[in-house]
Amino acid sequence: MTEFLQQIVNGLTLGSLYALIAVGYTVVYGIVQLINFAHGEVFMIGAFGALATWTVLFKGQTGLWVLPIMVLGAVLVSVLTAVVMERIAYRPLRGAPRLAPLITAIGISVFLQEAVRLFYPGAKSKLTFPEIEVVTGSALSIGGLQIQRAAIFTVGALVVSAVLLWFFVNRTRLGQGMQAVSQDPDTAQLMGINVNRIIVIAFAVGAALAAIAGVAQGLLNSNIDFRMGFLAGLKAFTAAVLGGIGNIQGAVVGGLTLGIAESMATQFIPGQFGGSAWKDVWAFVLLILVLVFRPQGLLGARVVDRA
Amino acid sequence: MSTSTTDLTPDHDDHEAVPLLERMPGRGSAAAWPLALVGAALLIAGSFLSWSFPDDVLGDLSVNFYPNGLQLCVVALGIAAVIFLLAYRGPLSRLGDWLDAASALRWIGLGAVIYMAATIIAIGWQTGAILNVNPGGWITLIGALLLLAGSLMLVSRNTRDPLFAKTSSWFEIITIIVLLALVLFGAAYALGLEDAVSFALFLLFAGMLSMALTKAGVFTWLGVVSQKNRQVLMFGAFAVAFLFPFTQGGSDENMSIATQVLIFAATALGLNIVVGLAGLLDLGYIAFLGAGAYVGAILSNSAFATIGWKPPFIVVVLIGALVSAILGLIIGSPTLRVSGDYLAIVTLAFGEIFRFTMGNLDGNNGPDLTNGPNGIPAIPDLKFGSFDFGQPHEVFGITLGRFANYYFLLLVIAAFIIFVFIRLNNSRIGRGWVAIREDEKAAEAMGVNVFGLKLFAFAGGAFLAGMAGTVKAHHDVSVTPDQYIFLESAFLLAAVVLGGMGTVAGVLVGATILKLLPEKLRFIADYRLMIFGLVLVLMMRFRPEGLIASQRRKLEFHHDDEDLAQRIEEVHLEEAEAKA
Repeated sequence: MTEFLQQIVNGLTLGSLYALIAVGYTVVYGIVQLINFAHGEVFMIGAFGALATWTVLFKGQTGLWVLPIMVLGAVLVSVLTAVVMERIAYRPLRGAPRLAPLITAIGISVFLQEAVRLFYPGAKSKLTFPEIEVVTGSALSIGGLQIQRAAIFTVGALVVSAVLLWFFVNRTRLGQGMQAVSQDPDTAQLMGINVNRIIVIAFAVGAALAAIAGVAQGLLNSNIDFRMGFLAGLKAFTAAVLGGIGNIQGAVVGGLTLGIAESMATQFIPGQFGGSAWKDVWAFVLLILVLVFRPQGLLGARVVDRA
Repeated sequence: MSTSTTDLTPDHDDHEAVPLLERMPGRGSAAAWPLALVGAALLIAGSFLSWSFPDDVLGDLSVNFYPNGLQLCVVALGIAAVIFLLAYRGPLSRLGDWLDAASALRWIGLGAVIYMAATIIAIGWQTGAILNVNPGGWITLIGALLLLAGSLMLVSRNTRDPLFAKTSSWFEIITIIVLLALVLFGAAYALGLEDAVSFALFLLFAGMLSMALTKAGVFTWLGVVSQKNRQVLMFGAFAVAFLFPFTQGGSDENMSIATQVLIFAATALGLNIVVGLAGLLDLGYIAFLGAGAYVGAILSNSAFATIGWKPPFIVVVLIGALVSAILGLIIGSPTLRVSGDYLAIVTLAFGEIFRFTMGNLDGNNGPDLTNGPNGIPAIPDLKFGSFDFGQPHEVFGITLGRFANYYFLLLVIAAFIIFVFIRLNNSRIGRGWVAIREDEKAAEAMGVNVFGLKLFAFAGGAFLAGMAGTVKAHHDVSVTPDQYIFLESAFLLAAVVLGGMGTVAGVLVGATILKLLPEKLRFIADYRLMIFGLVLVLMMRFRPEGLIASQRRKLEFHHDDEDLAQRIEEVHLEEAEAKA
């Protein structure tokens, strides 16, 4: 039983991370029907942004008060990357055949990874992420469960972000504009909504959450590297599809489900095919199964069949 | 929400797209033509003089009246310029009715200026003093500048569309043969350049010259010609590829690059069936190559092979191809019902599953099949009877090394894949694919078996990749999971996209560019992936149909281009009339 609960805890942690990234896929897809394949790189750049902020401003500091500023730095860098990416690469391709933006996305993804590897000092190997008081350090032990401090930060970040996002989407003019554009961009434009601006905001919102996830990942693993975006991005996309792409609640549900499924697979699949070596395989098998049997995702969203 | 991409396609006439040109002082003046001619003459004359004082820069540029290869490139530019000048006004004027000589001259001029500037900078840089540039270099630069200035002042003549030019067939065939010979010669020469700067300069030359020819409309005409004389072109290209190893004098260095290019090209051609013809975006294609390679390794005589069965190679090829095809069926049959982007992600996930699985089947985390991350090393060379692929052979007194042996085998495989590609493209199946690609629902309504054809494309592509994979295993000597990462799939896709989806020539060009350039341009080695990413983005932005695009494909990406649609329709009508 303890094992089971422990895996739930691990799964929730992992799932929160996926959920934070998955929101970015889902928001953008909901509005422009584009799989922003380079979103994983935005997450990676967020982590590097946080590290850079810390290295430049607070090197050697470990107080909790630096964390918000690190998060801010991460968000700034990620949002900037995502907005520039949208403006330069994706916007000119609107209305082009589906293949074009996807290949562009692969190009951006490779470009960003390499840019970080080449131009961030020391990024050719893994970089140590700073230890911050309270959120890193010895794991808490509650009722026989080992809970990492960073895990609490991650889950907390997801909860806070989800609430803020909910408020933004449902209670602000911009959020409602976003909903309108996602339902019908042409009509929304006729109603005086600046569609381009809404799209930029969608990219920015996704990037901000991905940046937070980047910081969380750094705290959890205590190191970051330029490759971390690829697999995380793919998993997060799986999460978004699992929850129903285009559906924000779905992204959160899908992320948590995927995280828990992955930890459960690690622990409870018997024999040689269990264990952590196969967890990624099971996650992708889950993706394929979902796309085949329930392409609209767990919570259901827009129709999948749009080539 | 329409895009502005069409404004940036190079198909438009320069004087329309670049208003700056209109404001060029002295535009259309009588001095323009003589000025350009003087420039071209200086360009040629200067190239026969010594360019640099020391004799160890960029080969040897220091001897008067004995031009080195780099100088000969400039001579070639000069001669091309003279021909275009004479086509603009003078004895070749009839040629100028069809070709936009002024645009071509501008590009030749620009190319010559950049080329000379780069050469002079390289000489100055490598010897440490700009004084080491001899007068010959400066004269050539001045010639280039004069040519550029003169050509900028020329006004383009009204030309007829070279698409409708009528030329006699013997002339067309000779053109194709000469062109292919030039390609062979150019490739052998370029590969022989040890120095990365020389190689880059040669690329600049080739690029600028082809740009000029494109602008003039030569390639439009060549496209029509090669369509008309397809057999000649195919046979000639194959002959060129076959003759290539004989130009290398037994050197393994370039042949190793050439075999890598061929493996890559063969795989990319297989992917081209899936992506280019059927329009299914497969981001995990490398897994099929990997499956073939693993089968080839496991059933080989390697001491590390995990299965005791060692069938003859031809059986291994079939098994490898079949295993890949079956994997294709397994992954394809459920997922081909989802469309577009989702398929891309599913195949990407499949590629990752393949890689993880191969890494895990090491005896600890699963049955021992692949030796896990260490892979299967020491795969012996192929042996067909007494012919050992590992040993050099003498043919007509020319030594052909290990890589040349594999080169010929791969050539056969590539030819087979091209054959399959072309036959499929011109069949009922190929037409079905086009219909699916353009509008799936309409195709289904017209009675096209959408699912069956998609599945066939997917499994067929996998079959071909598996086949190439079995040879790759022997060629590479070892097979490890990290040879089959996502980036490799991205590279394959890039080769298809860069060259031109759905065309054989395009994919061959794309594959060559992607594999050859990083090998030769060592100084960009560290930046090559970054440049690769950037090129993908720029390509999709400015020329999404690829370098060598089929006309129909072009239209798919520029569907608001009425002119293009009209032209293509006219050509199609004319072809239909000719057949009737």
